Amino acid sequence: MRILGCLDGTNAEQIGYAVQMFTTAEPPTVAFLAVINSGPRHDIERMRERFWRPPMLHHPVAEQMNAAEAEAAEDILKAGLEYVKGAESLVRQGRPELEIVNTAAEWKADVIVICSLSKYGEPPHIGPHSVGHVARFVLDHAPCPVLMVRPLAREQFSIDR
Amino acid sequence: MFLFFTLPEFWRTLLTSIIGLLTLVGIMTRPFRWSESRIAMTGAAVLLGLGLIRPADAVRTLLRDWNTFLFFLGMMGLSAMAESAGLFEWLAVQAARLARNNAERLFLNVFLLGTAISMIFSNDATALILTPVVYVLVTRLRLPVLPYMFACTFIADTASFLLPISNPINIIVMSRYPLRLSSFLRLLFVPSLVVIAINVGIFYLLYRSQLKGRFEIKRLPTLEKAIKHKRFFRYTLWVLGVVAPSYIVASAFQFPLSIVAVAGALALLVGALFWKQTTIAEAGKGISWPIFGFIAGMFVVVRAIEDTGLTTKFGRLLMHLSGGTSFGAVMVGTFGSALGTNLINNVPMAVVMNASLGSVQHAAPAIRDGFVAATMFGCDLGPNLTTVGSLATILWLLILRERDVDVSGLDYFKVGVLATPVMLFAGALTIWLLL
Repeated sequence: MRILGCLDGTNAEQIGYAVQMFTTAEPPTVAFLAVINSGPRHDIERMRERFWRPPMLHHPVAEQMNAAEAEAAEDILKAGLEYVKGAESLVRQGRPELEIVNTAAEWKADVIVICSLSKYGEPPHIGPHSVGHVARFVLDHAPCPVLMVRPLAREQFSIDR
Repeated sequence: MFLFFTLPEFWRTLLTSIIGLLTLVGIMTRPFRWSESRIAMTGAAVLLGLGLIRPADAVRTLLRDWNTFLFFLGMMGLSAMAESAGLFEWLAVQAARLARNNAERLFLNVFLLGTAISMIFSNDATALILTPVVYVLVTRLRLPVLPYMFACTFIADTASFLLPISNPINIIVMSRYPLRLSSFLRLLFVPSLVVIAINVGIFYLLYRSQLKGRFEIKRLPTLEKAIKHKRFFRYTLWVLGVVAPSYIVASAFQFPLSIVAVAGALALLVGALFWKQTTIAEAGKGISWPIFGFIAGMFVVVRAIEDTGLTTKFGRLLMHLSGGTSFGAVMVGTFGSALGTNLINNVPMAVVMNASLGSVQHAAPAIRDGFVAATMFGCDLGPNLTTVGSLATILWLLILRERDVDVSGLDYFKVGVLATPVMLFAGALTIWLLL
């Protein structure tokens, strides 16, 4: 692996420590996190309010929603575990950006690895709006270094200097 | 209190206006976390208590609008019973199957399904029943949830003026200003198709990058599993097969639509009880009872304001703003109603507009019909601007955002602000062209 450390005269310690994490022989402790986004559920509740309906706490479809969310989270974690056997699995419910930074602090993570944007089959995109709101929030609020994973797009370079 | 002595006209008008205004502001801001229903009923009770409206007039007003109350009951009953039969889930799975693993095609199918449900069951069913069903569907298919959810919630209102029964607002307006079915279809069906097309187009543009993927249909249950009880399901399809054309026939003959809705709901309830798919108590939970208090309160409050002559003045103001032209009538009616629905919710706005449109009844037919059609159009489509609530809710969400609290409701607002004015203008223009 070739690691490019970007120094600015003030960050040698931070960059050096982060690079060491990848070069140390000690095997890392890995946890995969899947967050069930509570935003859409809140929106559904607000919609019910607009139509003067009570919250759907005990509605049969609410149970179906819970089951579908749990099943999806389990599947997502299973896919991650195929790459790192024995990693810990964490499931949280809430706003993804908040859950990621809070879990990183609680779990005492040394580094967060996050993708810049969810990928739904479109070709890699470099440039404005290529970092989603979740990744941006994590970069702004993370309690530890963040490794932002971007799609390989060397063929789109170089950018005019 | 004032029942026992006569209050000068000026003070009656002033007091009634203040109470009416406070009721509307209360509905917007919901102080002490009071429900809209409680606020509307309190406003009505205060007016009655102070003798600003006579009990006999209040009762007469409520009895005059029996069709609206019964329609709400029938509409909610029909949707709840169809839901208990598993119809919406079955339709959603069917839509996914027909999409043949293509996320883009499923997106279009959700729009089509939402349109069909709004048309027959009203916007209420699409927004409240179809949305969670689609949420479960796309979560199981591992597709991005938001575009599909937005599609459901938006199409609920966008497709709510295809037929008179597609939105209870249409029933409220048409109870006072009946339109022949042919006039309704001429003035609102075609504009509805135009705004649905715009809605789909804008959403495709907005979410195109999230709709590129494919899904595995095997993640979904089979169509049979969506059906909770085969015989009741078939019976539900049969009843709805009778109810849907009955709506059209009833509209054509100006027969009260509420009777068709209630009869359909009762037929489904009998079937559900026979096959033990529900109980009376459970069926009762499918009805939003506070809505009746809300509507009754609003009817009484607006009737009291109407007696002061204020709504007539408002109607004249609308007429003046329209410049006495059909184009002005449609634009003022549409944008005025749309703005009002976002301030005080669409039911109170429709009731206020109903009371005010009396002033335009003597205008030329094109202006009169333009105002009536535009009122339904603006009150039906207007809520898409803020979707999850009124402007007051949005302002509150903006304050929360300022405090660095992330709120999802604003996502709706951003889409609503982008799409709704375009749809309102295009739809209003089409209504005017068809006048």
